[in-house]
Amino acid sequence: MTQTMRPPARVKARPAPPRRRSGRFLPGLGRFALFALPGLVAYALFVLVPIGMTAYNSLTNLNPFNPPTRFVGLRNYVSLLGDTEFRQALVNTIIVTAIITVLANVGGLLIAMLLDRPTRLYVLLRGVFFTPVVLSSVVISVIWQAILTDDGLLNSALRGLGVDEPPGWLSDPGLALYSIAWIMTWQMLGFCVVVYLAGLQGVPRELNEAASIDGAGALQRFRNVTWPMLAPALTINVVMLLITGFKAYDQVRVITNGGPGNGTTVTMAFQVVQTAFVSNRIGYSSALAAVMLAIVAFISVVVLRFLQKREVSQ
Amino acid sequence: MNARPIVATFVGVVFFLPLYLVLVNIFKPSAAVVADPAGLPFPPTFDNLAAVLNRPDHLFTFGLINSIAVTALSVTVLTIFSAMLGHYLARSRHWGAKVAMGTLLCGLMIPVPVIMAPITTVLKWFDLMTTLQGLVLVNVGYYVPFGVLLFTGFVKSVPLELEEAAALDGANRFRVFWQVVFPLLRPASASVTIFLGVWIWNDFLTPLIVLGPDSGTTVTVGVYRAIGQYQSDFGSVFAFMFLATLPILIFYLALQKNFVKGLTGGAVKG
Repeated sequence: MTQTMRPPARVKARPAPPRRRSGRFLPGLGRFALFALPGLVAYALFVLVPIGMTAYNSLTNLNPFNPPTRFVGLRNYVSLLGDTEFRQALVNTIIVTAIITVLANVGGLLIAMLLDRPTRLYVLLRGVFFTPVVLSSVVISVIWQAILTDDGLLNSALRGLGVDEPPGWLSDPGLALYSIAWIMTWQMLGFCVVVYLAGLQGVPRELNEAASIDGAGALQRFRNVTWPMLAPALTINVVMLLITGFKAYDQVRVITNGGPGNGTTVTMAFQVVQTAFVSNRIGYSSALAAVMLAIVAFISVVVLRFLQKREVSQ
Repeated sequence: MNARPIVATFVGVVFFLPLYLVLVNIFKPSAAVVADPAGLPFPPTFDNLAAVLNRPDHLFTFGLINSIAVTALSVTVLTIFSAMLGHYLARSRHWGAKVAMGTLLCGLMIPVPVIMAPITTVLKWFDLMTTLQGLVLVNVGYYVPFGVLLFTGFVKSVPLELEEAAALDGANRFRVFWQVVFPLLRPASASVTIFLGVWIWNDFLTPLIVLGPDSGTTVTVGVYRAIGQYQSDFGSVFAFMFLATLPILIFYLALQKNFVKGLTGGAVKG
């Protein structure tokens, strides 16, 4: 923004003196090597090269304990189409992602509106909701495991209240995935609250007052004034939660390890890691990883662009 | 009659309940945890905390040392590398800088599981698998896009005239950067330090795989290793978690104030 406002003549005149001067000490290439290269090399070695290797490995049957490695073309991807475990992981991941995206956004918005007051009590409560965001998902998982496990704190309390057979929150194959989604929602809720609060504080008072004078009720004011102004906050939260959902791994690994039953809580990220490091089928795992990356890239680019377009049109 | 404070407090208390359960049960003997999980710990016992600190396998103490070393080293290197790279890319008019920036931004969305297996291969090339140095390097490579993103955004608010003036006074690029630009980037450095410090401390999959099962772990992975052994002895598990979280929580709270001060103290204006 600021750059476009500068007069063009100054932009042209600017780079000359320092460049010539510093050239004596550090020619262009040296400056690149000193300032840019360290970060770029680390990034290339531990992100770009691995991405390339994942793409290449996905076209092979690489398994370190079962040589020789052969090039198999797209066979891994074809196998994925008929792989019921993959389909289950995909469906599980979509369920978890959908639940956390909806619940954390709705809950986050409601709580943000509740806490949108400057006094001490509300500032303290913001801190309460934000605490899980700062904690490790491993820690969050262990806390909730202690609460939700069969003889855990929740079921002990329920038995105390006279419920004879409380649900197996983590041991019932039909329930465990939803428990995982609930735990992730609880952790991410504070993130949404903080982002929505920042959005709410950007809504000018005068707008709401003007609408109020024009006779708009609370609901109308929210729909026509507040909600459109929250569009950027919605974009951040939705994209953040979609990505968080699609890479869900820690909670599954710590709490259920994919069970109970036959992979009822396996997510795509969990399947990628298990296939690579437990079954040692690196080739197949790479194809899974490539599909996962494609989905995350789709979300990051397409959903982000769609939501940003919505921001502008409003 | 204003219901807002009552509703807000109620929702906050319900939300906080899981954390409350952790805090009270750390100070109770196992029997009391099962009998009365929600009750206050009177009289409190410090046996659970002491047991974690005095574990014969040193899972906590060694993990703590590893976590501090890995987090401190990673964050320091990341701040330096991404400040330099971010500044370079923000100021460069070369087309390559735009390409590099775009490539780095793509890295922001790549989930760790997608690249975990090849990362171990790369580490093996340098014989760095199961070493703390290897873990630090992986962290640096993986988180550098985030650091660069924050720093480039901030560099644009530092007036170019300042750098030109320093250069005219005879400072070379290196001095201009470290003595003029970097101090002005303090709010960005603070955010990079806070975010990455918390993320790296809390990381699970990367240290789990890179450090492996035989050598030492970080405290976060230590929590995972500890739950297998304690089974349903919640008091001990909670004590381990509490001690594993305390350092990063203090770090976060201490730096957060600094961060706000940096933003409001007019540091940017120079």
